[in-house]
Amino acid sequence: MAHAAFDGIQTLAWMRDFTQSVYATEAELTALDQRAGDGDFGANLAAGVRASGLRCDRMEGPTGPAETLGAMADAFLDEIGGTSGPLFGLLFQALSRAAAGSGPDLTTASLAEGAARGLAAIRRVGDASPGDKTLVDALAPAAAALLATKDSPPAEALAGAAEAAWEGVRDTASLTARMGRASYLGQRATGIPDPGAVGVALLFASAGGTVDTLAHHVIIG
Amino acid sequence: MARYFENCAGELASDALSGFARAHADLVGYDAADGFVTALHTAPARTVGLLSGGGAGHEPLHAGYVGAGMLDAACPGRIFASPHNRQIFRASLAVARPEGVLHVVKNYTGDRINFGIAAERLADAGVACGRVLVDDDLASDSEEIAAGRRGTGATLLVEKVLGGAADRGMGLGGLVDLGTSVAARCRTLAVASAAHHAPADGEPAFALPPGELEYGVGIHGERADRTRSWQPLGALVEDMVGALLDALRPGPEEPVVALVNGLGAVTSLELYGIFGELDRVLEARRVRLVRHLVGNYVTALDMRGFSLTLMVADRVVLDFYDAPVRTPALSW
Repeated sequence: MAHAAFDGIQTLAWMRDFTQSVYATEAELTALDQRAGDGDFGANLAAGVRASGLRCDRMEGPTGPAETLGAMADAFLDEIGGTSGPLFGLLFQALSRAAAGSGPDLTTASLAEGAARGLAAIRRVGDASPGDKTLVDALAPAAAALLATKDSPPAEALAGAAEAAWEGVRDTASLTARMGRASYLGQRATGIPDPGAVGVALLFASAGGTVDTLAHHVIIG
Repeated sequence: MARYFENCAGELASDALSGFARAHADLVGYDAADGFVTALHTAPARTVGLLSGGGAGHEPLHAGYVGAGMLDAACPGRIFASPHNRQIFRASLAVARPEGVLHVVKNYTGDRINFGIAAERLADAGVACGRVLVDDDLASDSEEIAAGRRGTGATLLVEKVLGGAADRGMGLGGLVDLGTSVAARCRTLAVASAAHHAPADGEPAFALPPGELEYGVGIHGERADRTRSWQPLGALVEDMVGALLDALRPGPEEPVVALVNGLGAVTSLELYGIFGELDRVLEARRVRLVRHLVGNYVTALDMRGFSLTLMVADRVVLDFYDAPVRTPALSW
């Protein structure tokens, strides 16, 4: 039977699987970003999860979901250069804040609230709308899916959010970037899914275990 | 080729900030870990901390304007690169006051994003944060440029006016409105006869044939949208001032403040010659020039160029501008 909420250990396991997913797909992410951006996204995401892991390892005693997600936020915000790494930090910050407000365990309702708040913060900062070929194109459908299934157990709701995010990722391939590095490439980046959006999908998909390759989810061409 | 005097490549900006803090230890404190400087002496009446920052290479902007009557903190990035959100966040926490902190941001995508991330972190930490965006560069005023006008020389004037207002205890909302309206009444135009040299290899950022000048350069070595033939100084200044006045359209009674600013490698000799022409042109057009600054205030490494900024003021703005200031680069 599915758990009604993630406890600290389950949250940590989700973040560890996300870390493994990033390591496993770093080369694919780099290859994508070399064609649609400036090539550093895979390395930045890997640096983020590495720094997060070190912070999580340093935490003493039993840690709740809010503390784990807060450590992810601080690592991505403080230690990663560029802009997409810190934008992931804002998502973790919002998830951590929502988790802290919902009691000791992480409910689907607080995941939905955190994803929506993180999406709003990222949109304010980057001035990006859905359709601009950014991570918003994966995060917006994922947040909507979480909200629609907020009464389901988190594992089930996150699987639905991952599906919605991958769908958003696939849609970015046909878009022309207006924001970010890919905007300088114009039509040349058309046909290539946005690496930041892939990162968001990896996060939600990792709630169901490590993602070993992007090949089953996107066409890299 | 023009080689930079530096300890090691890539460290010029942080070495300079450390040296700056030692040189002005009577006025500023220095946080080496997070890369920012803070004012040691500020008015007790301030209810809002004033902070700015942006890429290095524009000295004395921004650190030079940290001190009594102006900025509470500045965080420079690497050369021509935005500061990291961590620097901005930590500096903001260090100088936030009961009503929070105000960010003065030059309009560049990187600065907007990094200051924006810091603002989201401050909101999460329960610290109120406002922003004044400076976008005075007339050359980038075009519907085709989605990012909008660049922020350049007017930054210094906006920071001075806001410092004067903050010292009287003006709150966060009032400062945001004041700064936004002051920024909206500033325009700048810059020209260059030679590019800056890139610190990495000492080579000029672009080549310009003799007898030509770039009309409408930014402060990061980006080329202007047009190259013009060299013209006599009086005619050049007349053209530049004409364009600025067309954009600003000051009324006959409105006081105007002018900034004649060197971009790094123009001599004081030339800057005063330029001011002489500016003063003459404004007088002929019956513009009420009431204050002026002449010198290197907002530079672009060693670019051989200058910018002219006009700010249309009123009695209130002028009063804040005139308020006492004591910083490493501006004092009265």
